[in-house]
Formats: sequence, structure tokens, C-alpha cells
Amino acid sequence: MEVAILFALVIGLMLIGVPIAISLGLSSMIFLLVYSDGSLASIAQTLFSAFDGHYTLLAIPFFILASSFMSTGGVAKRIIRFANACVGHFSGGLAIASVFACMMFAALSGSSPATVVAIGSIVIAGMREAGYTKEFAAGVICNAGTLGILIPPSIVMVVYAAATDVSVGRMFLAGVFPGLLAGLMLMLGIFVWAKVKGLPSQPFAGFREIFDSGKDAFWGLFLIIIILGGIYGGIFTPTEAAAVAAIYAFFIANFVYRDMGPLAVMGDEKNTSILSKPQAVISAWFHPDTKKTLFEAGKLTIMLLFIIANALILKHVLTEEQIPQVITESMLAAGLGPITFLIVVNIILLIGGQFMEPSGLLIIVAPLVFPIAMELGIDPIHLGIIMVVNMEIGMITPPVGLNLFVTAGVAQMSVTNVVKAALPWVGIMFIFLIMVTYIPSISTWLPTTMMGPEIITR
Amino acid sequence: MMHTQSKPKSIIDNIEETFIAVTLGLMTLITFANVIARYVFNANILWGLEATVFLFAWLVLIGASYGVKQTFHIGVDVVLVMVPNHVRKILTLIACAACVLFAALLLKGAWDYWSPFIGKRAFYETDDLPVPFFLTWISDVFNEGEAYEKLPRFIPYAALPIGMALLLYRFIQATWYVITDQQVGVIASHEVEELMEEVTSNNAQEGEKN
Repeated sequence: MEVAILFALVIGLMLIGVPIAISLGLSSMIFLLVYSDGSLASIAQTLFSAFDGHYTLLAIPFFILASSFMSTGGVAKRIIRFANACVGHFSGGLAIASVFACMMFAALSGSSPATVVAIGSIVIAGMREAGYTKEFAAGVICNAGTLGILIPPSIVMVVYAAATDVSVGRMFLAGVFPGLLAGLMLMLGIFVWAKVKGLPSQPFAGFREIFDSGKDAFWGLFLIIIILGGIYGGIFTPTEAAAVAAIYAFFIANFVYRDMGPLAVMGDEKNTSILSKPQAVISAWFHPDTKKTLFEAGKLTIMLLFIIANALILKHVLTEEQIPQVITESMLAAGLGPITFLIVVNIILLIGGQFMEPSGLLIIVAPLVFPIAMELGIDPIHLGIIMVVNMEIGMITPPVGLNLFVTAGVAQMSVTNVVKAALPWVGIMFIFLIMVTYIPSISTWLPTTMMGPEIITR
Repeated sequence: MMHTQSKPKSIIDNIEETFIAVTLGLMTLITFANVIARYVFNANILWGLEATVFLFAWLVLIGASYGVKQTFHIGVDVVLVMVPNHVRKILTLIACAACVLFAALLLKGAWDYWSPFIGKRAFYETDDLPVPFFLTWISDVFNEGEAYEKLPRFIPYAALPIGMALLLYRFIQATWYVITDQQVGVIASHEVEELMEEVTSNNAQEGEKN
């Protein structure tokens, strides 16, 4: 009963406009002071332990930084050019290419709304010029953008790994195949739609263009190879891989693409060559652009980690009160089977995912459902992927799906229109969710093949 | 959308922004240097991980107050945008009170937790962090003259009381701004608000050109 009050307090505070982080932290504190004999000092200690007790979370700022260096308009443009060269000649080619571009951008960035902004702000205008309706373009981007949290590296997956002590590497690898599958399903949907509606295609750009644009985009896409290769090759820990990725992204942005830093030239003229300005090797480190990128990434880190740290206080309260055990027992006593359990998880996350930031929601829900899943023999990696896909759908379903709002802003449409436009593609994502939920091997096949069977410790 | 008007940057803004950028930069460089040390020099920066972790804590705990100042902590505004303005202001003021309460309680907790580390447990050291040369004087002041082999814990842990004090200050300030109608609320509706504003303003500019 007390727990119901706790959650009511969290939701109530959120709805009157208290920041999510504060709602979580304050409710837990009040609960501890009223119902339990916890001290304020122990809460402060829990807050600090978010940083010195969870090395996994340390990967988050570095992933954010890497993706900030890569999120400059130039990288998105290169990826879109490559995507267009590859698949632009199919019916509905431009739309298929945008999905493909979103998938590639998702491999550089760990966030869905960031993917929508980066790719959407370019391709929605492009699709309209090519004769697609604005609604169609917005609907496609809104959905494809959610792949940002499913295709590794993904911040949400790092959070899940930290909350449940599974390996980050395994989670990342588990996201690869479902990510590709979801992208292909969306592309197939567009292709069928385009055939029916007779949407335009572009002339085939030729292998030369595929090769050239691919070479140009390669430097950016190599980032994902560093991360995944580094982790699976046992070269880096996930945290180190993220830091190396951030430094790599800094070099690419400053010295190869030269979209920022001392070698960047405003406008369409060619950027300065490193040879004609060798002092840039030093000055890039102190350039205002570098500071600005660090600062922007720092802001996002603060915002996310403050939520996570406060969610950890709530998690601490729940564990202290043995809530997960109570729920597990009552659920099992009620004869809950794996299938019904997964439906319950889906529903909780679909509802919660609309109101809350995905990382914070995961930190709270994961410890509640994880023990039940283990009792029912559900694979922890599989559960993680289900949760991530649920978050994706939460972002594109009304009333408050985050991607809907972002798309509405980028496409300059009303949210209601974006909701309508996104609907057919949300249907595809739902089918995908059902597939992922009931076919565990979609998620577990790749990590098991590459890293061997998982050792589950209870 | 809830936003404070963008005012010209003050010295304090600059200090805060530089702090955030430099802390994140240092974390990245130290972690990267450790990888290089391991593979190129076959060595290990022993204090690397611990230093990164503490910088991380400083970044977020101190930075949280900057987040209040810039209103970038996200929240849910579905209800707020539906109600009339005067109701919205009342709800927001209750929200502000909750935020102030949060910061005040945590400041008390942070002090309770931290003060023993500078008082009777001042001998308690970190695992690997060396004492930088400019801090050698602290052993005379806090540890009865006995030299520290490692950095004492009260230094990294100071992020808690300092961060929470700043947070309390910023929340009280934000509450005042809400009362005097200089600010609408204490939340941003999502993480990419700024990015989107950029896109929207670019679109608007292009619209003018055409």
C-alpha cells in the first residue's frame, strides 16, 4: 500500500511540473523519512554512489560526446548521400533512403530524438521537393528515428545494463539484428506503399557514386566498428570504447570532415587543408567549437545522469522495502506465465514510456520486473531488448510520445497531424514488438553466437 | 515551451560553461590516456579511473544547479499546457516549493554525510589519487600535521554539499522568477528543445529568403 502512495507521489509531482529527477528523488526521500528509518545522509550517499558505484554509467557521457561531435550537419549529409546512392532507385526511394540514413545515424548516436532532428531536418524538405507529401515524410522519419535507441551504441541499453548487471557488450550486440530487422520492415512497408500509390523513384546513381559517397561516409561509420569491434575484441571496456570513440569523433570532425574547428570554412567553399594550416593540430583542442560541443554534451549528461541518480535513490528505496520480492511472489502465486508476464511488461512500459524519459523509467522498472523474469526463465538480454523496443513505441504513441513532438517541430506540422501520419508505421513497429517479444532468438542469437552462451547468475 | 529569455552571458555563465566543458574534456582525456598507456606504453595510470569517476560526480552534482538556471531539466508539461494560465502559475509554484524542499533536504543530508569526512574521519583517504602539490597544506590543517599519502576523501565528496547548496540557491531564485513572472516554469519539455529551435529558426530564415 505504501508503495502505491510512493508511485502516486512520483506521478503527481511530475504532472504539476516538477522536473522528473526531482519528482523521483523527493518522493523517495519523503517515503524513507515517513515509513522507514532511513537517514538523509544515506540518501546523499546513494546519490553519490550513482557515480562512484556504477562504472558502467560512466560510458554515457562519452557516448553523448562522441555523438555530439558526429551530429554536425556534415555527417548527416554524408550519410544521407550514401543512403540515397544505395537505395534511391527503388520506388519510394527517397523515403527508403531516409530510413536507411536513420539506421546509420543511429549507429553513431545513442538517442532517438537526436536522430530525428539530424536526419529529419534534411530529408523531410528533400522528400517534399521530390513530390512526397509532408505527412508521409514526417510519419516515416518519426518512426525510423526511434531506431536510435535500438541500434548500438545506445544510452538506454547502457542504463539497462547498469540496472541489471548484464554485460553492455552483449546488450549492444543483441540490438544489432533487431535494429536491422525493424529498419528492413519499415523499408518493406514503404516499398509496398510506394508501389500501390505510385510514388516516385530516382535514377540509379551508379556504382561510382555509391563508392564515392560510401568512402566519404566511411569515416563517420567507422565509429561503430571501433565501439563494437573494440568491445568484442576485448580491446576496451565499454567505457573505454566510448571514450576512444569520443576522441576519434573529435579527430574526424576537426581534421577529416573539417565541419568544425579551425579548419572549417563557412559557406560552400572547400574547407582548409591541414597542410596549409598545421598549427590546427594544437589549436583544435582549444577552439571555441570544441568547447561548445563539450559543453552541449555536458549539459545533456547532467540532465540524464541527474535523473538516473535520483532514479537510483528510488531503486534503493524499493530494494530496501523488498518490493521486488513481494511483487515477484504475488505474481508467481497468481500463476503468471511467461506470456502473460511479457504482456504485462509491454503494457507497463508502453504507458510509462509516454510520460517519462526512457533511461529513468528503465532504472525503476528493470529491478521490479527483472527478478520475475529470472524466475520465469526469461533471458535477461531478451528482456532488455523487449524493454528497449517498448520505449521506442512509447516515443511514437500519443498523447506524449517524445518523437512525435520533435517531428512536429522539425516538419512544422501540428502534433495531431504527425500522430495520424505516423500511425501506419506505428503498426509495423507493433508487429515488430510482438515478434521481438515472442521470438527470443531474434535478440539472443547474435550475442550467443559471438560471445558464447550466457551465464545467468541469480 | 517554457523558456527564460536569453540574456547576455555574464562572467558566472562563462565560469559554469567552462567548468562543464573542461570537466567532461578531462574525463575523456584521462580515460583515453589510460587506454594509450596500456597498449602503447604497457603501463597503467593508476589513479585514472578514480579521478574520472570523481570528475563525473562533480560534473553532474555541480552542473545540476546550472541546469536549473538554464531550465534544461526535463519534465512533463501535458497538464500544464492544458490548464489556464493562473492555474498553471499556482501549480508551478507548488512544483517550485517541492524543488526547494528537495534541495534543502538533500543539502542537510549531504552535510550530514560529508562533515564527518572533514572532521573526525579526516584521515580517510581515496584509493589511488595522489595529493597534488598545491594541496599539500591540507594535511596540516585537517590531519594534525600527518602527511596524506593519498587525497583525503572529503575533497571529492565536497561535490555533494557544494552542489546541493548551489541547487538550493538556484531553485529559490527560480521560484522568485516564477512569482515575479520572469519565468514560466522549471522544466524543459524534452532534451532536444534547443536543437529544434535552431532548426525552426533556420527554416524560418529560409522561408524569408524564398
